[in-house]
Amino acid sequence: MTEIKLLPSFPADLMHMRKILTLFYTGLILPVMTLAQDSSPLEGLSDVREQLTIIRNVDVTTEPGKTIRAAELRIQKGKVVSVGTPAALPPGAVVIDGGGMHVYPAFIELCSDYGMPEASATSGGSGRREASRNTPVRATSSYWNRAIHPEFSAASVFQPDGKRADELRKAGFGAALTVARDGIVRGSAAVVLLGDGQATLQIVRAEAMMGMSFDKGSSGQDYPSSLMGSIALLRQSMLDRNWYGQPNLVHDFNVSLEAMHAKRNLPVVFDVSDYRSALRAVRVAKEFDLKLVIKGSGDEYKRADELAATGASFILPLQFPKAYDVSDPFDALNITLADMKHWEAAPANAAIMALQKSAVFAFTSDGLKDRKEMLAALRKVARYGLDTNRILSALTTVPARLAGVEDKLGALRPGMVASFILCTKPLLDKECVIAESWISGKRYVLKEADTLEIAGRFALQLDTLKGYTMQVSEDRTAPKFTLKKDTIEIGVEASQNGLQWTLRVELQKRKGAYRLNGMYDATTNRWSGIGQDPAGRWISWFATRDGAASVPKPTGKDSVVRDSAVQMPSVWWPQTAFGWDKAIQTIPTQATVCFRNATVWTCESQGKLMQADVLVRDGKISKVGALSPDELKGVRVIDCTGKHITPGIIDEHSHIAINQGVNEGTQSITSEVRIGDVIDPDDIDIYRQLAGGVTTSHLLHGSANAIGGQTALIKLRWGRSAEALKFEGAPPFIKFALGENVKQTNWGDNNVSRYPQTRMGVEQLYIDAFSRARAYERSWKDFAAGTTKSAPRKDLELEALMEILNSKRFITCHSYQQGEINMLMHVADTFGFRVNTFTHILEGYKVADKMKRHGAGGSSFADWWAYKYEVIDAIPYNGALMHRCGVLTAFNSDDSEMARRLNQEAAKAVKYGGLSEEEALCFVTLNPAKLLRIDQRVGSIKAGKDADLVVWNGHPLSVGSRPVQTYVDGICYFDIVRDEELRKRNESERQRLIRKMSDDKQQGGASQRPTTTLREEFHCNDMEHLPH
Amino acid sequence: MKNILSFAFLFFSLQAVAQRPVPADGKPSRILLLNATAHVGNGKVVENSAIGLADGKITFIMDARGFKPDPRSFDTIMTLPGKHIYPGFISTGSIIGLSEIELVRATNDFRESGTINPSARALIAYNTDSRVIPTVRDNGVLMAQIAPQGGLFSGTSSVVQLDAWNWEDAAVFADDGIWLNWPSMRTFKSPWSDPEDEQRERMQKSLATLNRQFEEAAAYADATDPLFNPHLQAMKGLFDSTKTLFVRCDFAREILEALALSERYGIKLVIVGGADSWRIADRLKAGKVPVIIERTHALPYREDEDVALPYKLPSLLRDAGVEFAITDQGFWQHRNLPFQAGMAVGFGLSSEEALKAITLSPARILGIDSRCGSLEDGKDATLFVSSGDALEMTGNHVELAWIAGREISLDNYQKALYDRYRTKYGLSPR
Repeated sequence: MTEIKLLPSFPADLMHMRKILTLFYTGLILPVMTLAQDSSPLEGLSDVREQLTIIRNVDVTTEPGKTIRAAELRIQKGKVVSVGTPAALPPGAVVIDGGGMHVYPAFIELCSDYGMPEASATSGGSGRREASRNTPVRATSSYWNRAIHPEFSAASVFQPDGKRADELRKAGFGAALTVARDGIVRGSAAVVLLGDGQATLQIVRAEAMMGMSFDKGSSGQDYPSSLMGSIALLRQSMLDRNWYGQPNLVHDFNVSLEAMHAKRNLPVVFDVSDYRSALRAVRVAKEFDLKLVIKGSGDEYKRADELAATGASFILPLQFPKAYDVSDPFDALNITLADMKHWEAAPANAAIMALQKSAVFAFTSDGLKDRKEMLAALRKVARYGLDTNRILSALTTVPARLAGVEDKLGALRPGMVASFILCTKPLLDKECVIAESWISGKRYVLKEADTLEIAGRFALQLDTLKGYTMQVSEDRTAPKFTLKKDTIEIGVEASQNGLQWTLRVELQKRKGAYRLNGMYDATTNRWSGIGQDPAGRWISWFATRDGAASVPKPTGKDSVVRDSAVQMPSVWWPQTAFGWDKAIQTIPTQATVCFRNATVWTCESQGKLMQADVLVRDGKISKVGALSPDELKGVRVIDCTGKHITPGIIDEHSHIAINQGVNEGTQSITSEVRIGDVIDPDDIDIYRQLAGGVTTSHLLHGSANAIGGQTALIKLRWGRSAEALKFEGAPPFIKFALGENVKQTNWGDNNVSRYPQTRMGVEQLYIDAFSRARAYERSWKDFAAGTTKSAPRKDLELEALMEILNSKRFITCHSYQQGEINMLMHVADTFGFRVNTFTHILEGYKVADKMKRHGAGGSSFADWWAYKYEVIDAIPYNGALMHRCGVLTAFNSDDSEMARRLNQEAAKAVKYGGLSEEEALCFVTLNPAKLLRIDQRVGSIKAGKDADLVVWNGHPLSVGSRPVQTYVDGICYFDIVRDEELRKRNESERQRLIRKMSDDKQQGGASQRPTTTLREEFHCNDMEHLPH
Repeated sequence: MKNILSFAFLFFSLQAVAQRPVPADGKPSRILLLNATAHVGNGKVVENSAIGLADGKITFIMDARGFKPDPRSFDTIMTLPGKHIYPGFISTGSIIGLSEIELVRATNDFRESGTINPSARALIAYNTDSRVIPTVRDNGVLMAQIAPQGGLFSGTSSVVQLDAWNWEDAAVFADDGIWLNWPSMRTFKSPWSDPEDEQRERMQKSLATLNRQFEEAAAYADATDPLFNPHLQAMKGLFDSTKTLFVRCDFAREILEALALSERYGIKLVIVGGADSWRIADRLKAGKVPVIIERTHALPYREDEDVALPYKLPSLLRDAGVEFAITDQGFWQHRNLPFQAGMAVGFGLSSEEALKAITLSPARILGIDSRCGSLEDGKDATLFVSSGDALEMTGNHVELAWIAGREISLDNYQKALYDRYRTKYGLSPR
C-alpha cells in the first residue's frame, strides 16, 4: 500500500482552542480592536467589533513577578479589562480557551528602524555608504552638517511593514521604538505597535526619544571622519541648540536647531559601538544634561561597575559571537585571547551588569541574525543566574519606562494596551514556543503548537466493520494515519482541505479502497464522516478516541525545563592578554617601598648616584640617597644591587591607545576635536610600552591639517579605564602641523584643492584663524560687559584658539623645514604667544638660535630621514645641536614600536653629537616633562615627584638592557617576573578556551572560521597612509 | 716601516667635508693593524690582535702578543689599543641604493608593476651615488644584498659592496636570488578589511598563480631550447641552485607551504621575516633552511604574544639550531643594523653571536662566506675599526674602514651639514 503525504493546508491544530473552531482560520480575520478613533472617512459598511474577549485557562503574568495561575484575561477595544480568576461568563463575549498556556505582556523593542523608509535617492552626496542607508529627506534650511538632523520625526514617516512586524512579533515583541538609524543626531523616535493596521492606529507615542550615535551614517560630507570628530560635532550642535534657544536672539531660521531646541527634553537613545563609546556618550550627556539610554554592543561587562555608576540605562543585545573553529593549531594562534574571552563572556554580559545594584537594562533583538533565536538567547542569558523576572522586565517594564510608555505598554493592568503573547511553556523553559501574539487586542497566530490535537489512537467503525484502531501520528506537516487490527498494519493516504480530511485505505490488497471524507470534532474527541466503500456504496464512519484525551490540562504549576547553570566567566582588566586578573592579582596598590643600592640616574643636578636608595611613599618619591636603618623600618626593601633606576620615560609624541581615528583631517582647522575623548585603555601597546620603561605618553592628533586636534596626556596605568589614565592637572596642548602633510603633498591626485596647498597658504591660514579667534574673544568680552544682549554662539574651534592666544593651551607643532618653523614663530610673536614645542623638528638645527630666542622647545627623532622630501636635510646630530644651542630638546617615538626603546634612541645623542649620557637620558625623561610643563610632577628622581620609575637590569643606554620593573605613581605596572606568570596564565586561558570552543563545536554549536581581529595602530597621519 | 700613524691624527684628517665621498682608489696597500680587539665574526674574539691586510685580502689574524712584525712588509702599521675591529656588516634584503626619498616617486626603483617580475634585476637600478649609502657605511655596514619588493615575484637581488663608481664595480654576487612574497594564508577582520570570503578567494588565486609559475619555470628550465620567456628564464637558476629563493613570509602556515615547495623542486630556500619560524624550527633545521630576521625592532604580530618576542627570536632560533641572519627594512634604516643585532643581546644572544648574525651568517646565507663575513685568512679585507662596541649606540664610532683592502671615506652629507651648523653656532666638535 502506498502512502501519499500531503501537507495540511492550514494549521489544523490550534491546540487547546477546541471550543471555537471558527478561530481555526483566523489569526488574520479577527476584528480590529482599535486603540483610538480614526479620522479617515469610512468606505463601505462599518465593521467595528468591540465584543469582550475572554481568554480562559491561562497563567497570566501581568508584570514581572506577578503571575495569576489558571486565570482569565478579559480584553475589549484593544485594552485590558481585567485579569483574574475565572468568573461567570457574561453574555456576548468571545471566549477562547487558552489551553493552559502562559500569557506575558508583549515585549518592547527599543532598537529598531521598523517602518522607516528605505534608502532614498534624495539624500544627496555620493558613495557606497550613502546609498546603503536609510536616509531621511532633509530640509535645505537644515544644519550645515548632514549627520545632524534632529528635525527628523519617525512618526511622520512611519509606515507599518507587515513582513518586519511579523518577524518581530514572532520574537515576542508587540511594540518598538523606531527611528531611522542614520547619523549622529537622528531625530525623534516613536513608539509604535507592531500591528498591521493603518499607521495612525499603531503610534503609541510620536515623540518618545531622540536618537543619537557617533556614526555619521549616510552623510556624504567628509566631516567628521573620526570618532573624536563625531563627538566634537555632536557637542557643537548641542551648544548651537542652546545658543539658538536663547530668548530674543535674532538669528537665521534653521529647521534643525529649531527642532533640536523643541525636542531638548526628550530622553536620548544612543547607539554605540563598544563600552568605551558608551562612556563617551555618558560624558556628552553629562555636559548637556541629557537623559541617556545607551544601546550597547554587548561588551558592557568589561567595565560594568563604571557603566552602571553613570546612571545611564542600557539596551543590551542578545547576539553573541559564534565560537571560532580552532581545529587547526596554527589558525587558532591567530585568534586573540581577547576574542576568545569575549566569546565566552558575551552571554554573561547582562548577568554581570545585573550584579551592579544600580544597573538598569533592557534587551534588544537587534543584531540577531534570526530573531527566532531570541528565546534561546534569553535562556543562555539565564544560565548565568539572571532570574526570570529580571529578564522579563528587561523586555517589558524597563523598555516601557525608558520610552515613556509604561502607562500603556509593558504590563497587563486594566486600561493598558492589550498586547501580550501566549507561550506554550514558561518563558525560559527549553520547550517554550511563542504560539500567539496579540497586539492591541488583535490576534496573530505565530506558530503551530507542538502537539496535534488530531493525534492519538481511535477506535474506528467503518460502516459496519469494527475492531480497527486508527492511529494518527504527531507529525505536524503530514500526520501519518495507520489502521491496525491484531498484527495487521495498513497505511492510509490522508490529505486535508479546510476542516475536512480525505482518507483512502485498502483493507485488502487489490480489492479496491474505501474513500472517506470526515472531520475531527475537538469537543467530542471524535472523527466522523461519510464515504464510499470499494464497491461505490455510500457508507458512514466514525472513530472515537481511545482512553483519555491527549490534550494537556493546565496543572497550575509548571516543571520548568532549564539549561544547567554555568560558571560566570572570568573578566580581566582589560579583557585581553596581559590584563589584570583577580585570580592572580588585582591591580596592585601603592606601597611604601625602598629601592636599595641602585645606580640612580636622577636627571637632576646630582647626576648619577652610585649605590643609592630611593624611598617611595604614597606614590611619591620620598627620599633619594642613602637611607638610615630608621628610615627603612616597616618599608618593603627591593634590593637593586647591580641595577639602574631612571625616571619613567616620557614620550612626547605618541599615537597609542586611541580609538577610531587619530586624524580629523577633513578640514584644515579642527581645533575642536579632542584626543582625550577617544582614549583606548585596552590597547596592548600600553602594556608593551610599560615593558619598555614608558610611563607617560602624550597622545597627539595626526598631522593632516594645519591646526589639528587637542592632545591628551596619559600615564600608562594599565588596567584602568580611560578617564583614569589621564594625567590629572596637566596643561592642555594642541597639535599643529606644517609642511607636506598639511598641504596634502602626498595625498594623491584627488587632493589638490583644499586650502592650503603651499607653505604660503599655511601662514595665511594661521593669521586668519588667530584673527578670528581674537574677534571671537572680543564678542564674548562685549557680552560680558553688557554691550551685547545675547551671548555669542559658542564655537569649540575658536575656543581652543582663544586659549592658545591666552597661553592657556600650548602648541606642539609637527614641523620639518626651517622656513615654516621660522614662519610659525613669527605668527606667534605677532599674536603675542609662544610656540611651546616643535615636534619632529628635523631642521631645528638650522634655526636653533631663533628657537632659543622665541623660547620654543624641540622634540625630535634621533636619526630618521629620507622618508619624504622635506626631511632630506634631517641629520642625526640635530638633537645634540639644538641642545647645545640652548633649546630644550627631547626625543620622541611617534611609533608604538620605537617607543619601547626610547632609552636606546636617547643613547644616539651620545653617538651623534657627543652629548654626555646624563644629557642624553634627559632627552626622554626630564626634557619632555619640561616641554609638557609637568616637570613639577615627573621627569626626574627627586623627593616630592611622582614615583614614576624604571628599574633596569643594566646601563639604561645600553642596547642589551631592559626594564625589570616599571612603576607609575609608585605602583608596579610591569614586572619582568610577573610578566612571565602572565604569559603562562594567558596560555592556559587560551588552551582552556580552545578546549571549550572545540567542545562547543562537537556539540553542534555554530562556529566561525578563524580570523585575526586587526588592531588600530596609528602614526601621525595614517588616515592618509602617509608616514610621519 | 713607512709611517705609523697616530690614530687621533688619522681620525681628524677624515673630517674633510663632502656630500658624496669619492670611492677609494683601487690600490690597496699593505697594512698591519695592531693591538685592537678583533671580533672575528664566527663567534671568536682575539683580544689583542694583529691583522695583516694585503692585496685586498686579510693575510693573517693572530694574537699580537709575541708577534714581531717586519716593518718592511707593511706600508702602514696602525696601533689601535682599546679599539675594536669587526668584519664589515652585511645587510640583506635591503633597498639601499634603490630608493633615495621614500615619498618621492622619481627616486624609487624597487617595485616593478604587476605581480610576476622575477626578471627585474635590482643590480642595474643600484645608485652608487646615493647620499644615503655613506650614512649607512658610517656605522659599519659595508656590504648589502639589494632586493626588489612588491607583487608576488618581486625580482632578482644582488649583493653589492658599498663603495663603488658604478654598479658593475659594486657587484659582489650578481643576481644571487629570486624574491617571492608568499601570499597571506590568514584572514583579517576590521572595519577596513575586505570580507573574509573575498580574502580567502584572493589567497587561493595567488597560490594557484604561484604554483603555476613554478611548474612552468621548472619545465622551462628542463627544456633544451625553449622559446625565450623572461619570467621563466629568470627563475632557471633556482632549479640548479645557482640562485636562491628568498621568500618573505612570517607565519607558520606560509613558511610550511614555502618549505614544501622548495622540497618539491629541490630549491635552495631562505625565509625572510619568519616571525613564526621558531614555532616550526625543527622543520627548518631538518630542511637546512635559514631565516633572515627582518627586524628585532618590531612589535609581536599577535597581541597575546610575549611582548619581547621579536627581541627573543634570534636566541630562540639559535637554541633550535636554525641558521639565521638579522637585517633591517628599507634603506636609510640600515645604519641601525648593528643595533638591530645588539637588541638580541639583552635577550639571550651573546655579543659575538649577535655580530655573527650580521656578518658571517648573512655571508653564508648569501653564499659569499668563502670571501666575506669574517676576519679570517684569505678573506676580503672588508672590515672596520670602531672606538667602542659597535653593537652599542654609545660605542659605535667607526674610525676606519676598508672594503676589499681599499680604505674608504667615512664622510657623508649629514656630517657635512653638522659641521656647517656647528661652525655657524661656534660649537666645538665632540
